[in-house]
Amino acid sequence: MKSKLLFLIITLLLISTNALAGGFQLNEHGAKALALGGAFTAVANDPSAVYWNGAGLSQFSGTHLMLGSSLIAPQSSFRGVYPDITKYRAANLVFFPTHFFATHAFSEKFSAGFGFTTPFGLGTEWDSDWIGKYLAVKTQLMTFTLSPVVTYSPIKQISLSAGFVYSFANVIIERKVQPSTILADDAYVSLEGNDNAAFGFNAGLMIKPTSFLTIGASYHSQVKYGFTGTATSTGPAQLQSQLPSGDISAELTTPQNIAVGIAIDITKNLKVSADYQMVGWSSYDKLEVKFEETGTVSSSPRLYDDSYIIRFGAGYRLNDQVSLMGGAYFDKNPVSTKYLNPSLPESDRLGLSCGIEGRLFDNFTITGSYLFIRAKQLTVSDSEEIYSGLGSTFNGTYNSSANIFSLGFVYSF
Amino acid sequence: MKLKIKFIVSLFLSALFFISCNDYSDLTPVVQDKVSGSADFTRFVTIGNSITAGYQSGTIYESAQMYSYGNLIAKQVGTDYQVPYVSDPGLGGRMEVQSLSPFTLYTNTSSGIPLNANYPAAYNNLGIPGALTYDVLFAKNSTTCASFVFSNSPNPYFDFILRGKGTQLEQALSLKPTFLTLWIGNNDVLGYATSGGTSPAAPTSVAQFTQLFGGIAQGIQQYKTQSGTNPGVLVGNIPNVSAIPFFTTVGPALAINPAVKWWQIRLMQQGSGLPLTGLIYASHEGGTNLGMLPFKVGFADSTALLSGSTLITLRGQTYAGLLGQQTGKFYRDNNIPVPLGIDTTKPFGFHPQNPFPDAFVLDPDEITTSNNAVTGFNNVIAGVAQQNGFYVVDINTKFNELRAADFTGGTVINGIPFKTTYVEGGLFSLDGVHPSSQAHGIIANEFIKVINAKFNANIPLVDVGSIPGSIFFSGKYSYRDNNLIIPYNLFDHLLF
Repeated sequence: MKSKLLFLIITLLLISTNALAGGFQLNEHGAKALALGGAFTAVANDPSAVYWNGAGLSQFSGTHLMLGSSLIAPQSSFRGVYPDITKYRAANLVFFPTHFFATHAFSEKFSAGFGFTTPFGLGTEWDSDWIGKYLAVKTQLMTFTLSPVVTYSPIKQISLSAGFVYSFANVIIERKVQPSTILADDAYVSLEGNDNAAFGFNAGLMIKPTSFLTIGASYHSQVKYGFTGTATSTGPAQLQSQLPSGDISAELTTPQNIAVGIAIDITKNLKVSADYQMVGWSSYDKLEVKFEETGTVSSSPRLYDDSYIIRFGAGYRLNDQVSLMGGAYFDKNPVSTKYLNPSLPESDRLGLSCGIEGRLFDNFTITGSYLFIRAKQLTVSDSEEIYSGLGSTFNGTYNSSANIFSLGFVYSF
Repeated sequence: MKLKIKFIVSLFLSALFFISCNDYSDLTPVVQDKVSGSADFTRFVTIGNSITAGYQSGTIYESAQMYSYGNLIAKQVGTDYQVPYVSDPGLGGRMEVQSLSPFTLYTNTSSGIPLNANYPAAYNNLGIPGALTYDVLFAKNSTTCASFVFSNSPNPYFDFILRGKGTQLEQALSLKPTFLTLWIGNNDVLGYATSGGTSPAAPTSVAQFTQLFGGIAQGIQQYKTQSGTNPGVLVGNIPNVSAIPFFTTVGPALAINPAVKWWQIRLMQQGSGLPLTGLIYASHEGGTNLGMLPFKVGFADSTALLSGSTLITLRGQTYAGLLGQQTGKFYRDNNIPVPLGIDTTKPFGFHPQNPFPDAFVLDPDEITTSNNAVTGFNNVIAGVAQQNGFYVVDINTKFNELRAADFTGGTVINGIPFKTTYVEGGLFSLDGVHPSSQAHGIIANEFIKVINAKFNANIPLVDVGSIPGSIFFSGKYSYRDNNLIIPYNLFDHLLF
């Protein structure tokens, strides 16, 4: 008994790994999925299936509500600029992406669900006088989606789903600008924009060829955002006429995602799963802001590559009330070091997660999970990002990690 | 089974520990002891004038001092380097940009505070604004410096930096230097040149300079003998003074200023029987005696101004806007009684009886005098260096290269384009004499190249592109007409 308790404590401390994915994608949609390292496409056995794989809704009957939130605490540092090794730390920010899912099975063949998620987001904030101040000071992006899904299961072994995505988003980009290399003074530019209506879709498939094997696949389409907003600049009065201000517009296309996964019931109580997810980051080829009053366009190449995530998860049912889960994933860096920008410190990421699910009452389940992400230390030596004079490239070493706690409640009736 | 899970979980746990506890502090500093080769930077001292002090735009202030070439070298080799810092905006009178269009300057009247005044030992940076070669050997305070001894004008920087601890040379040697740089002599000709050849009336003579510079070298040799050490010594030579923006900005702008009708002036002057035409300036050195007047005058037509064969100083810009007017503003502004023979109702600068002031013009004779002084000093520096085992940093050649490249689009260094032109060229601060922070990076690299070559060292060069600009905007903003606007007293307190 004593050892069991210790085991639980360790597990609680560790609970689950799988949050910040590459780029600015967030995959923290459900404490259970998080605990399984996101290897959930072929599992999809809680209401977060609305996001992960709508076809999974065919697995349960009745009506279920799920509410959850994650606490994401990323840390980033930069050492440089080469050959200097001064260390700069990004501000420790905390994000709380929240999700809500509702599902209902109309019959054995038809189910429907509805979800609210935050599929993309990022936030970094560096000191306004740090060495990379002309590249990034504050950057924040949040996208929110409302998504209804319908699921059809023609035969017991196969189910299909289709969903519609309505999304809204806002973005803040703040940094300093250097009007001239000879001037000591600089100016602070803040761009803020939002898009109230962008659309996309998703689809899912789940096949159970045998009782112990499940195969899942899901597709999430691109979503194209058209942001409109304003630019404000503060700086010396002498520069006022040269600084950006007024209405701006910008476009951003979030990547499509294709995931395939399998889940195997090794014993009655042990289920393992694995996913391969392709992320179509090549949609993010440039960051371009248009200033409506002057018609000028400020463009910087991003040139992300398509990337992938490999995920593994295992769930062990201790008894009727308690299940334990663990997971791991590897997330390939989508951006070439040439274009790596401190607004979004990127490198290959390893996620380790664990979680515990407890059924408190027959119709109420609570899940807690923890994910630790370590981004591989990345030393950039071929940067094309300019941090001061025309030839001053931003070479140095990035380190990032993140701690993520996730808590979710499922109520069934 | 449970055991297995425990095992897996503890594996996760230990993996987490190993990954998350690694603080990745294994990056080694690029600067290592070995990079300085046989040069020993344990105690590094720089002796010099305002340039060495990191003086810019008319004063010393921290954000410029920290990029003086001495600071930059010290940073590249990783040694301690104490500086008499003054917080921004400096000891008072910093020039700032009041407006970009029209380009207007402003003097910031507020001052910062000394930040390192109680440092017990001598400073590693012993550059003193205004210091002549004489001062390195003899000045102990503001009333024993050359400007007081010879023109009764105390220079407070000597009190501020020397603090009663002896001369620059004495203090430098008191630090038991293992590496020393000496860059002095600029002011021995600049004082003459920037005053249009009036104050002093001649540069330090080459004979005097030989004695003074030799005296400094002798002091260093004595230290070597007494201490039994052999510090590395670099000496900077003197860049061509007449090519700095203090001299090259106003004349060419006047020559092409459409408001000045040069051909009308020529006709008018020819009509009144003058032997030559153009800008007419008072000239004590060369110049023409027109007979009736108790002073001599010189002539500089638009071609002479454009080509730079006659130079007008930045100080003269204040009055260049008054050319052709019936004015005696120069005499009023400066509380000078109107000299005998001057008639301020005549067109200023275009009539022999109201000539452009001598103090703002470096005419061909004066340019020759300045250039000869520079050549003479540089020969002395090279000779003394050779006799004493010092190495010369040829700043003069580097500056001439940069100057020559102006006419082919400038020089790009670490991504930044530079020219020797005023302000926009990026090499000079607003006073038109002193290097910008980025130019200090270029100078530091010239020193480092010599160290690397002569001491078998491998010190990394300074990334000039990473040095911030050092020109500030003033808080106030106002418009006037469409000229370079320089208040008449802006350069009054300028030291070199």
